Amino acid sequence: MTLSASQNRAGLALMAPAAMLAVIFLLLPLLAIFVLAFTDYQLGDRTLHFIGFDNFRELADEPIFWTSLGNTLLYSAVVVPGSVTLGLVSALLIDARTSLRSFYRTVFFLPVMASLLAMAVVWEFMLHPSFGIVNTALKAIGLAPHNWLKDGDIALYVLAVIGIWQSFGFNMVLFMAGLSAIPRDLYDAAEIDGAPNAWARFSLITWPLLAPVTVFVSITAMIRSFQVFDTVHALTQGGPSKSTEVLLYTIYAEGFEFFRSGRAAAITVVFIALVVAVSLMRFVSFKKNGKPA
Amino acid sequence: MKLILTATALSLMASTALAETTITVQYAYPELFDTTQNEMVKAFEMKHPDIKVEFRSAYKDYEDAAQRVLREGITGNVPDVTFQGLNRVRVLADKGIAVALDDFIAAEKDFNAAGYHEGMRQAGTVDGKVYGLPFAISLPIVYYNMDLVKKAGFDENSLPKTWDEIVALSKKIKAGGEADGIGTEWAITGNWLWQAMVFANGGTMLNADESKVAFDGEAGKKAIGTLASLVTEAQSPDMTPNEMLAAFSAGKIGVMVTTTARVNAVTKQIGGKFELKTGNYPDLQEGVSRLPAGGNVAMITAKDKAKQNAAWEFLKFATGPEGGAIMVKTTGYMAPNNKAADLLKDFYTENPNQAVALSQLPYLTGWYAFPGDNGLKITDVIKDRLQSIMDGSRAEEADAVLADMAADTQALLPRR
Repeated sequence: MTLSASQNRAGLALMAPAAMLAVIFLLLPLLAIFVLAFTDYQLGDRTLHFIGFDNFRELADEPIFWTSLGNTLLYSAVVVPGSVTLGLVSALLIDARTSLRSFYRTVFFLPVMASLLAMAVVWEFMLHPSFGIVNTALKAIGLAPHNWLKDGDIALYVLAVIGIWQSFGFNMVLFMAGLSAIPRDLYDAAEIDGAPNAWARFSLITWPLLAPVTVFVSITAMIRSFQVFDTVHALTQGGPSKSTEVLLYTIYAEGFEFFRSGRAAAITVVFIALVVAVSLMRFVSFKKNGKPA
Repeated sequence: MKLILTATALSLMASTALAETTITVQYAYPELFDTTQNEMVKAFEMKHPDIKVEFRSAYKDYEDAAQRVLREGITGNVPDVTFQGLNRVRVLADKGIAVALDDFIAAEKDFNAAGYHEGMRQAGTVDGKVYGLPFAISLPIVYYNMDLVKKAGFDENSLPKTWDEIVALSKKIKAGGEADGIGTEWAITGNWLWQAMVFANGGTMLNADESKVAFDGEAGKKAIGTLASLVTEAQSPDMTPNEMLAAFSAGKIGVMVTTTARVNAVTKQIGGKFELKTGNYPDLQEGVSRLPAGGNVAMITAKDKAKQNAAWEFLKFATGPEGGAIMVKTTGYMAPNNKAADLLKDFYTENPNQAVALSQLPYLTGWYAFPGDNGLKITDVIKDRLQSIMDGSRAEEADAVLADMAADTQALLPRR
């Protein structure tokens, strides 16, 4: 199909506003970040100097950056399997019954809609070391209480649990959409062919047919877990002693608390590289499957 | 035609007669200061009909305040007067955004007689020049849960005056088994309470020319020893500031060391659960001790001379007795001005817990900001080192922690 010159012009003209907005609000800031990452710029300065790769070299020598990167990956390694599994299981359970479906769906989706910052305050009270409901319950059944948010060995996992609680409802909704796309007659056919039980039905039909959805859910869950910030900011501020420091929080602290903009930009570049790498994974996996989700 | 000309001429004359200067003002924490600022401006415009004050939408907090004015400094769109956190004065002075006030102060007759004392000027001083006058300030004080204090065998006449006595009292409360003995809000911005402890012992953060760490000297060793004894002897629990405030208000901590700014909120949270009393920061020695002011400071950022003059009038009003009195009544912070308290006699008789900190005003000094590009980063490394004392992991080797803290800080100071 070929377009006439006027059709072409009209097309370009229609595209122009969106393209311009994308350049102004997406590409230019991104470009600015990449430029800043190679300077010694501090917020408020009127001048800046290019210092080559110095910011990155300093990052490589800085233990806090590596802690931050490690914590982000560890957080992700807990939250992604947790929230994907929980999302899948709850979707299957809700799908299996016809009664109260929308009730359960709404209830599990609530944490996704609630402001995580406000919810963090609730969690803070539940986890309070001396009168929080969690410790009170543990004591009641004879287990040792913990100082959840101030114990460097467990604080990150506590945040991960909150992260799972917050995000599994989102995954559940995606899985439910995936489930509804599976034709019912496949299950009927399996029954006629003598599939022995629910597990066989799941492993032979549901799981393979859900695969594209699972890949999509896992990758978005991973990217979202990299972006954890609210709970860290509200509950631990990266502490105690950097045990819950994650990349986004490091960027925030460097850029907006210490005003070391160049350094913050360098960490952002690393962060962007990480997200792009994960997104490429999705691209590659779709290619292999031959069709997008 | 003639008529129109006369009318124009007349209106021109009228406007020059009033010579209205408009200044824009921006402040932080609207939930705390909206009423204060509105009442203050009303009173100010009554007194200075030739100056009109306009507000810009308030800064969310001190971080936001510093960021916004730094960004506006680049675009040249700063307000004429800005209220900033006391530890951000240095950044704004270094970047050439704030105007030095020394000439204005020199031109004033009887500046000291109007209640502006040395400590007040020190609080906004950077490199020997005054860049801001403190507006709403807070100092560290001690909060006592009198129910727990009495159970431990003390009363309001025998409240501790030294850290040793505080530790002894806290141990007794802890031994009662009902609550923890003591909590300190040592984590405020990383180092405010640490500065208080070192300054109270007569120490400083850096040496005189700011090239070398000085908090590892005698005063600092004593301070870190005190902090460690709170953990090792009084078994101070390791809590986040919010957790500690909640625990104290719930009657689960006997003694709490933090800023005066919390008196209002804590009193409200306690309701009638127990009797709250506040006491002076311990071990203050006249002539030796100093205490860093928390809170905010008014700074002039106007570039235009006429606006600067008008802004100075506003600054004087806000930080003077009248502005101070309005601020104290509407917020719970302290007014640094010596004369403000005279206008507040009734208020302080009714709110004795607020009055306690007034006697600490003579010890007022600036909240020290570290020099150089890594100035704010330094507060973070101090916070992390203090954490290792407060969570007990290195409380037994406090001197080693102090040495590490000094080394971390030294590495981040500007090299010369």
